[in-house]
Amino acid sequence: MYLVANIDVEICAAKSCKLCTQYCPEANTILYSEEMGKDKGFKYGSAYVAVDRCKGCAQCVWVCDNMAKNNAIKMIMIDQLPLAAITDNVTYGEKSTVAVLSDPMVVG
Amino acid sequence: MSLDYVKFSGGFEKFMPKEYRDMVEHGPFGKKISVSQMGSFKEILEEHPMCAGCAMTLFIRLAIIAFPNPEDTITVGTAGCGRLAISQAAIPFVYGNYGDQNGVASGLSRGLRLRFGDKPKDVVVMAGDGGTADIGFQQVLHSWFRKERFTTIMLDNEVYGNTGGQESGMTNRGAVLKMAPLGKKFEKMDMLQMAKVAGCAYVATVVPNNPRRVESVIKKAVLIAREVGSTYIQAYTSCNIEYAIPTDKVMEDAKTVENDRYQFTEYVSDEAKQYLTERYGYKDYLPKPAAPAAAIPNKA
Repeated sequence: MYLVANIDVEICAAKSCKLCTQYCPEANTILYSEEMGKDKGFKYGSAYVAVDRCKGCAQCVWVCDNMAKNNAIKMIMIDQLPLAAITDNVTYGEKSTVAVLSDPMVVG
Repeated sequence: MSLDYVKFSGGFEKFMPKEYRDMVEHGPFGKKISVSQMGSFKEILEEHPMCAGCAMTLFIRLAIIAFPNPEDTITVGTAGCGRLAISQAAIPFVYGNYGDQNGVASGLSRGLRLRFGDKPKDVVVMAGDGGTADIGFQQVLHSWFRKERFTTIMLDNEVYGNTGGQESGMTNRGAVLKMAPLGKKFEKMDMLQMAKVAGCAYVATVVPNNPRRVESVIKKAVLIAREVGSTYIQAYTSCNIEYAIPTDKVMEDAKTVENDRYQFTEYVSDEAKQYLTERYGYKDYLPKPAAPAAAIPNKA
């Protein structure tokens, strides 16, 4: 098992600074959805991680903790993620993406 | 310049490769995008085999997003870590033999001008510090002296990262590396000064911990290279493997190095300033309004 980044939607949707999307060395790995967090009543969307592309470097954690000071990203073991986005389940829209969240262990 | 020409002729969509269709429909082809939209569109560089937490990858990712017309851009590279990522992008990549990249780019840029005339086709060289300052040094300097119109970007990780950690011309004096155990005995090469002496129209240093600045620097360099002359960008892109930087501290290291020896510097020639102002509406280089004259106290 290995570590991947996991973004807390409740903290992220409240701030929505989008810094982690700009600092991840992996392209199209931290994605942004305007819909995520809307069901919980947040005004903005949230960033989320396509876990199959995450190499686990934790740069986003440093950026979120030290530059944005939001502490919304944590590294957790991939088999302990409750639900996660996989690249194949992400569709690109006009200004944001839509991800169907699935159990990463089931998808493989 | 209009971006309208990047459209499929009716009925021909299905014959285009999927990558190209994806780039037009969900990516940056034919649109204006910026780093603030990252994470919401399909990027030209998607998957690559670079190490986890590599700052060079982050810089390459930002650079490719910053290209003013990615659909009309050809990248040229050479041996080194960088080409592993650049060659995976959905825009053409030409692999120059070690050291040849600026010679290849000279020919390419001249050929594209003959073939396409006024329609801009940008050539961008992205090579490491070894490819630019050591092995390709002769061709790099000659292309600058000839004022070849393309952009040269040095991905300066201050080491030969791909071959196990030998010192390069851009390694700092005293740096101890795996294949340089006694420490480097000579100073880091001053490529910026050489670029200015050789007549580059635009010279800048940049560190990837400021994505907006990377974007603006790359845009200016590529635009100036269309008509004015050679442009050179030197980017600090640390090697977290050879310099043993923990991956989550890569941006902290970038910040420290930026404050220490890699401050943002920018040199723009007068001709380039005029070109950017007149052609692309940059307001930064307009003459500053004269300060209001100090009030002359009335004599009683």
